Amino acid sequence: MAFESCDKSEHGFSGDDFACVCASNLGEEVYAKLSGGCVAVAGLGGLGSVVSANLARAGVGRLIIADFDIVEASNLNRQQYFSDQIGMFKTNAAKQNLLRINPDIKVDSHCVKLGAEEIVSLFADADVIAECFDKPDQKQMIVETVLAKMKGKRIVAASGMAGFGNSNAIQTKAVSENLIIAGDMETGIKPGLGLYAARVGIAANHQTNAILELLINGSLDGGV
Amino acid sequence: MEVLKINGKDREFVKGKLPDSVSELLDVLGVDQATVVAEVDGEIIERNDFSKTALSAGQKIELIRFVGGG
Repeated sequence: MAFESCDKSEHGFSGDDFACVCASNLGEEVYAKLSGGCVAVAGLGGLGSVVSANLARAGVGRLIIADFDIVEASNLNRQQYFSDQIGMFKTNAAKQNLLRINPDIKVDSHCVKLGAEEIVSLFADADVIAECFDKPDQKQMIVETVLAKMKGKRIVAASGMAGFGNSNAIQTKAVSENLIIAGDMETGIKPGLGLYAARVGIAANHQTNAILELLINGSLDGGV
Repeated sequence: MEVLKINGKDREFVKGKLPDSVSELLDVLGVDQATVVAEVDGEIIERNDFSKTALSAGQKIELIRFVGGG
């Protein structure tokens, strides 16, 4: 099916048009798995804003997004927000952007600081959870919570993406059946070593790609 | 010598000097406890239980350390 045949709406691009484009690109069978999938994205910074957007572009039907922060000018160097969104809650700004990609995507947004209790209750429906925090103790907290308190739930985390260059050091590693980590595992932020959209984006897209593989194939057999 | 298998590699300790707990092991390794997910013989050990979780020779330990950035 060609794209032209999907763009039937007289009133701009609709959710049906988006579904038609995805099904045409991916095939009905794969699109059904993605559109029926639900992914939780914990944190909407440099990782989460990219992971959520690219999951939406791939056709994932439902996202549960959570963050407590607002969009600041200092975020624009690497996070998928725009200057006219400064001051908005990231949950609202991200939802706005996701609906601009797929008008029919279901977005459950939670403007909260996630702790173990919130993670267990808010992310219960998710097929996969994306850990997209920036602080290492928060990464620890969510990974521990999911592995210890949400048995069988899979989490795709990220660690080690500061700086620039050295793209190929960033890898996807299946630590166990339920824990996948993207990153170079060692390069953290420190004075003089900041975050760039490019390298954070590589890690975010490793995460996204692993999540898509989990949704489509059920495991990472082909990808690691 | 007593051995712990840490992240797939054997680490030897003089007999009697094996760390008593997950907490003590992380101190010996110089790792910030707040940034580590620990698994002992396939079981996730929650951070609150690091000091209560005794270790013995021959155990398999996975330590997953997180660094900042995102």
